[in-house]
Amino acid sequence: MKLHNILILGAGLCFASFANEAQVLNRLKQKVENKTEQKAGQEIDKLFGGKKKDQPNGQSGQGGANGAGGINGSGGNNPANNAGGGLISTPPDVKQNLADAESAYKKSSYGEARYSVQQAMLGVELEIGNKILKSLPESIAGLNKDAESDQVASAGWGWAGLTIQREYKDKKDKQLTVTIANNSVWMAGVNAYLTSGGYAQQTNGEQNWKQTKVKGYRAIIEYNEGSGYKLSVPLGQSSIVVYEGINFASEPDMMKAAEAVDLDSIKKELGEQ
Amino acid sequence: MKSINILALILLVSVAAISQDFDKNIATARTTYSSGNLQDSRFAMEQILRDLDMAIGKEILKLLPTKIGALPAVEKDDNVSGTGGAVGLYVNRHYGADPKRGSIEIMNNSPLINSLSAILSMPIIGGMMRDENQKIIKVQGYKSILNKNVDSESGKTNYELQIPMNNTLLTLKMDDTTEGEITTTANAIPLSKIVQIAQ
Repeated sequence: MKLHNILILGAGLCFASFANEAQVLNRLKQKVENKTEQKAGQEIDKLFGGKKKDQPNGQSGQGGANGAGGINGSGGNNPANNAGGGLISTPPDVKQNLADAESAYKKSSYGEARYSVQQAMLGVELEIGNKILKSLPESIAGLNKDAESDQVASAGWGWAGLTIQREYKDKKDKQLTVTIANNSVWMAGVNAYLTSGGYAQQTNGEQNWKQTKVKGYRAIIEYNEGSGYKLSVPLGQSSIVVYEGINFASEPDMMKAAEAVDLDSIKKELGEQ
Repeated sequence: MKSINILALILLVSVAAISQDFDKNIATARTTYSSGNLQDSRFAMEQILRDLDMAIGKEILKLLPTKIGALPAVEKDDNVSGTGGAVGLYVNRHYGADPKRGSIEIMNNSPLINSLSAILSMPIIGGMMRDENQKIIKVQGYKSILNKNVDSESGKTNYELQIPMNNTLLTLKMDDTTEGEITTTANAIPLSKIVQIAQ
C-alpha cells in the first residue's frame, strides 16, 4: 500500500514537471514569435514608410486598421480622399468639333482633323443615347425606373459603339435591365443562333434557350438559375436590345415586360433599316 | 522619271478626290445635325473618318522608301485603307519580286501592339518567351522585335522587324537578307514623321 502511494506521488510530480516545462516552452516560443513579428513589422515599416513609426500604447507593430491609412496602419502614409465632386460630364460640342476638323483638314493636319471628328461623333452618339433613354417607359411590369443607374456610353468611333442602359426595380428583389447597343459585338453571336435554324434546340430535358419573337422581331430567350431570364432582340443590321430579368415568375411574364418597350422607335432612332 | 511623274499625278488626283468627299461629307454632317437627323449626321462622320484615314495613308506612302536594300517598290500594289473605326489606318507597300520580296506595313491599333509592348517593356515576359530566333533591338530609339526565320526548303534566311510606336505598328519584312541589311533599311525609314502623321 505504501509502495503504491509512493508510485502515485512520483507519477504526479513527473506530470507536474512536464506541465511546467511545457508552459515555459510555450512562453519562450511566444516571446520569440513576438520578437520576430516586431522585427518583421519594423522592416516592413522601413521598406514602405521609409522610417520607423511610433507604436501607440506600446503595441508591437502588428496593429489593426488605422483609419485613413489603409489596411495595416503601419506603412500607409496616404490620406483618404473625402473631398471633391468627381468629374463634370461634358459631352463634346458637335458643331465646334466639326469646325475644328475642317480647319485642321485645310492645314493638312489630318490627325488633328480625325480627333475632332471622333469627338463630334461621340457628341452625336451621346445625344442619340439620351433621346432613346427618354423614349423608354417610366415603369415596366410594376417596376419603376432607377434614374440614377441610367447610362449612355460611347467609344465615339463606331467599334464598341453606343451602349444605352436602364434598370427597372421594385423595392424587393425583382429587376429588369434593358441594354441597347449599336454596332455591338453581341450581334454576331445572336445572329449566328438565328440564322443557324435553331441548332441544339432540345425537345426534351432541360431547355435553357430558345428562339422567340418580340413584337415581330426574331429573338433569343435564355434562362439561367442564377441570373434569371435574358432576352436578346437584334434590330436591323447592327443594333441589339437585351433584356435581363431577375425574379420574373415565368417566361410569359418576361415576354410581356419586353413588349412594353417600343422597339420600332428605337430602331428608327438608331437609323436601322 | 516618267513613272514618277505618273505616280505623282495619280496621288494628286486621288488627294483632290478625297478633298471633295471631305467637303461634301462635312457639309452633310453639319446640315443633318442641325436638322436633328442624328443618325445621318453620324453616318456622314463615319465617312469623314474613312476619308481622313485614306488621306493620312497617302501621306505616309510618300514617306516610304522607293527601295529597300536592292528591292524596288512595287507601287502599283500600294494599299491604303481606312475603316473609320477603332482599327483605322492600314498602309502596305511591297518591294521586289519572287524569289526575293520585302514589304512595309503600317497599322493603327494592331491587335499585336499589346503583346509586343509587353515583351519589350517587361524583361520577365521577354525572358520567358526568349528564343534564339528572336531579338530585341533599337531602331531610331524605338525598341523593336527582330524575328529570324530560316526557310527549310530554300535554306534562305528571312527577317521580320516589328516596331511598335504608341498605337501604330510598323512591320518591315525582307526575304533572303541579313540582320545588318534589315537594320540599315529600318534606320532609313522616317519613323518619327510616320508616327506623327498616323496618330
